[in-house]
Order: sequence, then C-alpha cells, then structure tokens
Amino acid sequence: MTEVYKHIHPSKYFNDYINQDVRPDGRDFDQQRDVIININGITSADASAIVKCGNTTVVCGIKLELARPKAEEPDIGFLISNVELLPLCSSKFRPGPPSDYAQVISNIVSDIVINSKCVDLKDLCVVTDKLAWVIYCDLVCLDYDGSIVDACIIALITSLKTLSLPTVTYDNETEEVKVDTGVKIPLQVHGLPVATSFGIYHKLPRNIILADPSAYEEEMCGGIGANLIVCWNKGLFCGIQKFGGCNLSTEDEKRTISLAKQRCKLVEQVIETCIKNGEVK
Amino acid sequence: MQDFKLKPMKCELNYLSKSDGSAILSQGDTVVLASVNGPMDIKTVNQSIEKATLEVLFCSKEGKPSVADRYKENIIRHTCETAILGCLYPRTGITLTIQELENYGGLLTCAVNCACLALINSGVGMRHAVAALSCCVDGAGELVLEPTHAQATAARARLHFVFDSREKSLVTGFTEGTFSEGTYEEALARCRAASDLVFAFYRDIVSNYCHVI
Repeated sequence: MTEVYKHIHPSKYFNDYINQDVRPDGRDFDQQRDVIININGITSADASAIVKCGNTTVVCGIKLELARPKAEEPDIGFLISNVELLPLCSSKFRPGPPSDYAQVISNIVSDIVINSKCVDLKDLCVVTDKLAWVIYCDLVCLDYDGSIVDACIIALITSLKTLSLPTVTYDNETEEVKVDTGVKIPLQVHGLPVATSFGIYHKLPRNIILADPSAYEEEMCGGIGANLIVCWNKGLFCGIQKFGGCNLSTEDEKRTISLAKQRCKLVEQVIETCIKNGEVK
Repeated sequence: MQDFKLKPMKCELNYLSKSDGSAILSQGDTVVLASVNGPMDIKTVNQSIEKATLEVLFCSKEGKPSVADRYKENIIRHTCETAILGCLYPRTGITLTIQELENYGGLLTCAVNCACLALINSGVGMRHAVAALSCCVDGAGELVLEPTHAQATAARARLHFVFDSREKSLVTGFTEGTFSEGTYEEALARCRAASDLVFAFYRDIVSNYCHVI
C-alpha cells in the first residue's frame, strides 16, 4: 500500500515521514549510511577499491602509464580522474556519450582531489622534462543511490593509498626506459580528503538538513545530485559546493560543517582499518 | 557596514533586439553577454508538469565545449532555477544563453550576475534576485574581496558565493583551493555584506531603464 501511496503522492509521502522526524529508510536526519570498503578487488589494475555507502556502489581502478610531462610544467606528473555513470547504475542515465551530470560529477571529484593536494604531482615526475607518471583513476558507479561524490572520493583515496609506483631507470643518452616492477615504492598520500553530501529539504518554519541523502531523497530536495558537498581534509576545507535546493542559513551551515568533520574521522578509521587488514592478508 | 569596494560595474539591458530579455555586463575588464528566451514550447521529453525547464548554454570565448563549461552551466542553472518562479510556467522551457566576451578573472560571478539581470529584463516571474561575489585568500592568509586576475591566480584559495536578495541566505557556493573554517566564515560574511552593493546596482540599472521607457 505504501508503495502505491509513494507513487501517487510523492511529496506528501515524503513529507509525512519528515513530519515524524524520520526518513523513509528509517534513519535520523543526521545519520549517515554504513561505509564498506574492499581493496584490490581488481587484480589487473595497479590499485583498486570497491566502496559501498548504503546502496551506492563505486569501483575505482588505477592504471599507471609513463608519458612526457607538459613543456610548460616539466617537473610534474598527471593525475587524471574520470567518473562514469552507466545506464547500469540507475534508470536516470541513458547509454551514449557521458551525460551533463556525469561530467559535472567528474569535474567535482577531480577538483577535490587536485585542491586537497593529497598527491604532490612533483612526486610523479621521474626525469624532468623527459618522463613522468600518469595516474589514470577510472571510477565506475555500479549502483546509484545518492551521495555519489562521497563514495567516489573514498574509493579514489583508498586506491591511491594502496598504490605503489614501480622503479624506473632512464638512460639519458639512449633514452631507454627500464621499468622494474619487482621493486615498488608506495605513493606518498598527504592527508585524507573526505566529502560529505547533504540534501536541503524545504520545510516551514525551517529547512531540514539530510545527511548522506539517498537518490530518492535527492529527488525530493530538488532534482538529481546532492545540494551541498563539504570536503574536509586534516583541518582544512578543500571544497564546499552548494548547488540548488533550498537556500542555506548560517546556523544550518555550521551544523553541516560539524557533521562533515565527524564523518571525516569515521571514514578515516574505516579506510585505515581496511588497508591494515589488506596488508595482513 | 564596512566600506567595500567592488570592481566598477557597467550594464546595458535589452542589448539584443530579438531575445525576450538580454543584458551585457562588465565587472572590471570581464565582460559577459546573456540572453533569455521563454517561457516557450519545448520537446515533450524535456517538459515538466510541475515547473518550467531551464536550459542554460554557456559559450566560452574559444567556442570549444568542454567539461568545465558543463560545470559552469550546472552552477548557473541551479542558481537561476531557485531564483525563477518556475511553477508559474509548467510544461514550458526557458533558455538562457551566456556568451563570454572578455575574461580577466571573476568570469563565473559576472556570468551569474549577468544572467540575473537578463532574467529581470525578460520579465520572467522571480522569487528573488541573486548576486554573486568572489573572494580570495592571498599568500599571507589575508582575504581579498573581488580580486583582480593577477591576485586570483596567485591566491591560495578562491571562494565564490551567490546570495538571494531577500534574506541574504546562501543560494550557491563553490570554492577552489584549501582554506580554514575561520577563513570560510569570514569570507562568507564579507561577501554577504558586499552583496548589498550588487543589489543596489541592480536597482539603479532597472530604475534607469524604466525611466527610458
């Protein structure tokens, strides 16, 4: 019966839950979904991670390549991330070239990673002006159930943390490149950016902040995608994005920031435990 | 209120003869042209029974579409969607086209302001006007309101905010670089206070324009 009601009166159905101070999936407004991480699931990739935040599932695979650095910046390497939202993950996405939304998410994710400076691109340079590492981070969403940026960032950072670069010797005269995959050096990852998404639901007398919204909640808060994404990295913000949804008051903003900080600690523990367990195996 | 200085703004409404509303706005040396058409008929797939569909097209100076342009379109679309009273025009479409003419920093804030002026000019029903402002944190950690191009490129972080005209609450915000919580709050407060100047400018332009009619 409730399923029918949900389809006939979508906004009233949602409102009834909110009036009872609970969300349709039984969570409190501030409560986030559980995070599950699995590392090195893809053996053909140089590093990989599978992350589940509630139902949202993202797989990240990292491939390494060698290339010549740009002439303008001869001493830095490349970190390229791309997010794919295939029709597999939700009925909202159609086959064909990447949708506008996928491009926006790709842009947000790569902005957060670059802004947080968690990877010093100078570390990726092997020989100035001759040889540098290119880290291709491909993120594929398997199941889209809201807060996609959070899951993407966790997957990406976990993979980067488990990534090791093979040693490379470059002969200046013959320009010969030798890659020794036997000796690998772990990539230095400074800090640990964690993104937290929020939905802002319009309700009088004051708006409701929903932490870690599901796809259905995002829809109710004004369309696809979270309204507010706060990214916190070791005492500094590396991105606060607010798009659409209801307007944000000062006190709500303070609450979201403190929630983002709490979540950052939690996610950090999850990632560290996961990597430690992976090493034991 | 502190004495804020924004870049000199110049604007002309109804710059284009064939669109329903248009505006050309210069903030400092950055110039943007915006045109609004609608509410008009659109394809059935894009129609929404609840509100007007807003389509935003951002044309950069180079003319080549890129992922960064999609991101800009997304920001402008979300901002304008909250400003427009879309529920007045169900099953219709409103098209907003923005052409970058000159970019000397602060392009996106200028584009948002220009879009707002074009929407006002088109006569589309609006909840509130919006004002975009930017702020940057220089090497010494000092905040600079409405930075010049050189200041913005050298800055540690750039923060952009869009406020509504009624309650001055945050409509849209996006940032680049890293910054502390204190800096964020101060930047937000400063931009919020300075948004009054932008709204005063809007009022000036619109009242001047009304006199001409």
